This record gives sequence, C-alpha cells and structure tokens, in this order.
Amino acid sequence: MKSFLAIVLLGLAGFAWAESGTLVRASELKQKPFTDAASAGKLGSGARVDIVARQGAWMQVKSGSQSGWVKLLNVRTGSGKGSGGGIGQIGSVLTTGSSGTTVTTGVKGLSSEQIRNARPNYNELKKLDGYDATRQSAANGAAANGLKARSVPYLVSRATTSDSTNGNDPQNRRRGP
Amino acid sequence: MHIRTTLAALALALPLVQPAQASSLSDFLGKAMENPDLVNSVVGAVQNTIDANRTIGPKEEKTLGDGMAANLLGAAPLVNNAGLQSYVNQVGRWVASQSEAPNLDWRFGVIDSPNVNSFATPGGVVLITRGLMDRLRNESELAGVLGHEITHVLRHHVTRAAQSGKGREAVANALQGVAQYKTDDARRQLGANVLSGVSEVYVRGLDKDDEFEADVTGMVLAARAGYNPYALVSVLQTLGEINPSDSSVQLMFSTHPSPQARLDYIDRTVGSRLEKYAAGIENTPRFGAATGR
Repeated sequence: MKSFLAIVLLGLAGFAWAESGTLVRASELKQKPFTDAASAGKLGSGARVDIVARQGAWMQVKSGSQSGWVKLLNVRTGSGKGSGGGIGQIGSVLTTGSSGTTVTTGVKGLSSEQIRNARPNYNELKKLDGYDATRQSAANGAAANGLKARSVPYLVSRATTSDSTNGNDPQNRRRGP
Repeated sequence: MHIRTTLAALALALPLVQPAQASSLSDFLGKAMENPDLVNSVVGAVQNTIDANRTIGPKEEKTLGDGMAANLLGAAPLVNNAGLQSYVNQVGRWVASQSEAPNLDWRFGVIDSPNVNSFATPGGVVLITRGLMDRLRNESELAGVLGHEITHVLRHHVTRAAQSGKGREAVANALQGVAQYKTDDARRQLGANVLSGVSEVYVRGLDKDDEFEADVTGMVLAARAGYNPYALVSVLQTLGEINPSDSSVQLMFSTHPSPQARLDYIDRTVGSRLEKYAAGIENTPRFGAATGR
C-alpha cells in the first residue's frame, strides 16, 4: 500500500514536471531533428518553449500552437541569471524550476562546512580502489553496449574566454603562460 | 639513481645551508656520509623549498589527490551499491581511455549525498554525487559529466588551484602529511588538518576558465568515446532548471559559473562543430540496470 502510494506520487511528480525554456535567438522550427528537414514554422528570440524531447544536437519543443525541433544550444532553461535570454520570464521559470523536483531542500547535503570539517576516510578510499575497471574491461563493456571510439580533435577553447570573465574576481585570473 | 638525486640535492643545498664545518663540497660529502642526520636535515630543507615551488609530478599528484579523495569520502561515503560503483568505473574508464592519459590510475565513485555536484582529485579520482546521478537522463549525460571531471585531472586544474597563493605551502605540507597520516598515528591530527587546508579548493572553486575548458573538452572526450557530445548541454539545462536558492546546489553554484554562462560559452566555442558526432550513443541498457531506471 505504501509503495503503491509512493509510485502514484512519483508518477504525479513526473507528470507535473514539464521542462520549459527560452530561445536565445530566433529559430526555425524543423519537422525533424535535421538541418535539412522541412520547416515547421519560426519562433522569435525570447520565445517560451515547452521541452518535449531531446535527440542528438536537437530539442523538440512546443510553443503555443507551434511545435517542431530546434537546436539544443538555442534554448536556455532557468532564470537566465548571468546570461542573455529569458530574463523577462523569471517568474514562470522559477515556478517551473522549483515544482515537482525531488530536491531535498533543508536536508543537509555535501556542504562547504562538511568538506571543511571532514576527516580523511582511507577505508572508503580503499573501497573505491576495489571498484576500478581496467582499460580492457572498460573497452569490452563499451563494445558490448554499442560504443565505438572515434577520432575527434580537441577544440581550442582557452583563447576565446576573455569576454566571459569578470576582471574583478581573482578567481577569473588566467594562470600560467 | 637515488644517490645521484641526493648528491644533486646536497650540491644545491650547499650555498644555502653552509654547514659550519664544510669548507668544500668533497669535505662536506665526507662528513655527510658519517652523519646521516645531517644529510637528512639538509635534504629535508631542500625538499621543502622544491616542493613549494616546482610543478609537482604524477606520483605526488596521486598521493595528494588520494588524500583529497579520502577527505571528500570522509564528508560523504560511497553509495553502498557495488553494481552502481562498477558501472560508473566502466563508463568513466572508457571515456578516460580516449584521453592522452589512458593509463592513469582512474577511479570513479558515486558518493552518498543528495547535493548536485561532482569532484575531481589530482591523479585520477572522480566522484559524482547521488543527487547529480539521479538527475541524469542517460549514459551520454553521465559520459559528459565524467568527461568534464576527467579534463580537470588531465589539465591539472585542481593541483594548480591548490598550489596557488598560500596553497603552495599547504601542498608541500600535505605531501608530507599524507605519508604521516598513514604511517604515524601521533601525526594524524597534522595530516588531517593539512589535507583539510588543501581540500579548501573544493569550497573555493577552480578558475572559471578551467570550468569552461572542462565543459568543451569533456564534450570532445564523450564524442571520442562514441556518445552524443551534446548530452552535456542537456545536463547544464537540467542544472539551470534547479532553483539556485535550493540547498542541494549551493556549493556547486558557488564554485562554478552559472549553467547559463556555461551554455553561452559552449554555444560560442563549440556551436555546431561537434554535430557530426551527435548521432552517437544516447543511452545503453546498462545505464538502466545500474541506476534502477
């Protein structure tokens, strides 16, 4: 009985938690998650969208009567603090963000205090050591799950960060050469 | 090898320490051979100076990092689920195998905290909280998170942050502290305190640029491992949906750029450049089996 209730409650929570977001740029809606798919309409920058599904680099969204696929990176969730987009709809985003989640507000988690007051636990580290996977076993496991290694060059990213940092914050200072 | 190192250290130390009775190098070495305590004290003094200034090597990073991992595990132990722990090691080691350091002593663990966070320690330990694990939709999202943390290890981000400013001395002390903690019960207190000082880096956070780099490089590593690299974008969108005042994200939000800022950075830096790998694996049966979902 108790577990039945729990399942019903979980189900309700899952049902109630519809993800939503805001477009950071005007976007063409695609009928399918491909760049060359047929158009299903257009949405302007700042348009609110309900998130239906995700696939690859794409997200299926609904906005009013329109629906279709947009690039994942065209959408921001949350209050939009600290970045462009979505600031006009803070109220509704916060409501969405705080409803139906399983977050345990008030329960003590891994806080700054706990890290500061921690005593090293070498027994637990030994346990951790015991769970490690060899390179070979990880490769076998990956293959059994359909994963294939691909050659992908690193993207050089450090050189373009100056516009994203705040010069007053010592944490932002670039170190080294 | 060891003798040569010691001699080199002594030679270095001579002009600094000037032992009273040594008028020349050979004279000093002669006395040194008769008096091991003198050798030890001089080598110790030199070692401290070196520790405080040099870039520490792989062995020391592992010693230091394992101590920091023990400290984090002291704050939150491993989730008592062998299947889950083995699973994250399978995924993590596979992603790490796509890096330039496939043979590091990589170890991955899920720690028992409802908070949403993950940690890397120097030398190859990556810990992810149960709270973050519960919010991941599939294995490609896990691969993205682990790829982010693996990058912190590869690029020595935590080591560098711990060594910055006053931390330099703390790192040098910690390298001694770790050894003492394991071998000398009387020094337990010192070891734990010093480690606690170094672990302050997890409360202070890393350089913002290091977090951005970890996002982009984490996506590349996930792509190399055969996953959809854009899954990390979905993780950051999930984080963006959590009310920032919620206690479960306080530490993570105070030590990282906002999810929106991270998405903006990925938008500018990666954009569509990894789209040809986006058809990679999104999920696997083992993800459901290990997480009970």
